[in-house]
Amino acid sequence: MSALGVAGRRILDVGCGRGKYPAAIGIDRSLATQADVICDWARGYPFADSQFDEVRLIHVIEEVDDILATLAEVHRVARPGARVVIVTPHYTDHSSYCSPTHRWHLSSFSLWFFSDKPREYDYYAPAQFRERRVEVKLLRLWRWLGLEFLVNRFRWFRRFWEYYLCFVIRGKHITFELEVIK
Amino acid sequence: MARILDVGCGKNKYAGALGVDRNPATDADVLCDLSRPPYPFCDASFDEIRAVHVVEHLEDVIRFMEEMHRLLRAGGRLYLVTPHYTDAGSFRDPSHRWHLNSFSFYYFTQPREYGFYSPVRFREQRIRVRLLKLWRWLGLEWLVNHSRAFRKFWEEYLCFMIRGKEIHFWFEAVKGAS
Repeated sequence: MSALGVAGRRILDVGCGRGKYPAAIGIDRSLATQADVICDWARGYPFADSQFDEVRLIHVIEEVDDILATLAEVHRVARPGARVVIVTPHYTDHSSYCSPTHRWHLSSFSLWFFSDKPREYDYYAPAQFRERRVEVKLLRLWRWLGLEFLVNRFRWFRRFWEYYLCFVIRGKHITFELEVIK
Repeated sequence: MARILDVGCGKNKYAGALGVDRNPATDADVLCDLSRPPYPFCDASFDEIRAVHVVEHLEDVIRFMEEMHRLLRAGGRLYLVTPHYTDAGSFRDPSHRWHLNSFSFYYFTQPREYGFYSPVRFREQRIRVRLLKLWRWLGLEWLVNHSRAFRKFWEEYLCFMIRGKEIHFWFEAVKGAS
């Protein structure tokens, strides 16, 4: 693939649907999307190793059969240091249950196995990422009351929110930004 | 006489319906694996299909809805019942693959945004949410079912406290040029 993205960066948009990221190569299962390549993105991507500077999975990982295998595949096609952007519903948002294709209901610590995991979990998910940013969106009411700011400003508060508050002060979606380590 | 199919009929087959299930210990008239369509019936064989506490068990919900659409005549009716994901029943049964809410079938009824997931279309005739007895007594079930706007508010803000029980959907199969 030689298609060039913004400023020469190669970007892969996995499960691009009808809102493909500008200048990205889109892959999706359905001809009715803006995909450049049709393939079953739940199974693997038809690209060589270390091809992309950025890989985006926007509302995709909640639908795949196997999240560990998907992130291993993202790791394979990404260059060392590449950016990976993942957006998925928080499991307390109604949208997590609105689609009968959502297999997984996730929290803002669900990618823990890939980043700051203890060494004894290396066998579980060998693909290595560094967590660059985790941002939670809350429903509007809670945003107005400043709770979204608190959840994103302090990791300890996000943890407290996940443990004690999130069934009342409900989440909307989570953005993870990871860096590929090879 | 209406031709009625009871999918996943279990031991409480609907009176007058043909029952299909995968378990030989049920009242099924026809046995087949409901996660592996097509089921052994011709296109447009039924006026009504009932699927009560079934869809949450199946491997692929979209494929199941496409099969329901194939088996119904144009204008035929699909009655679906499934637990709301905030009910204890949604998590009590380890064969439940999917945890759903009252907007979970909008791919088929409001295809503007996500219609590319499947080509089949249903018209939403009615949706009714049942809540736990306490909330029913307090009139909240009436409110949730009274207006779509309140149901959406309940789904977004309230349903982890004022928890749901079951969702009942009535759909009409839309076929052909309509």
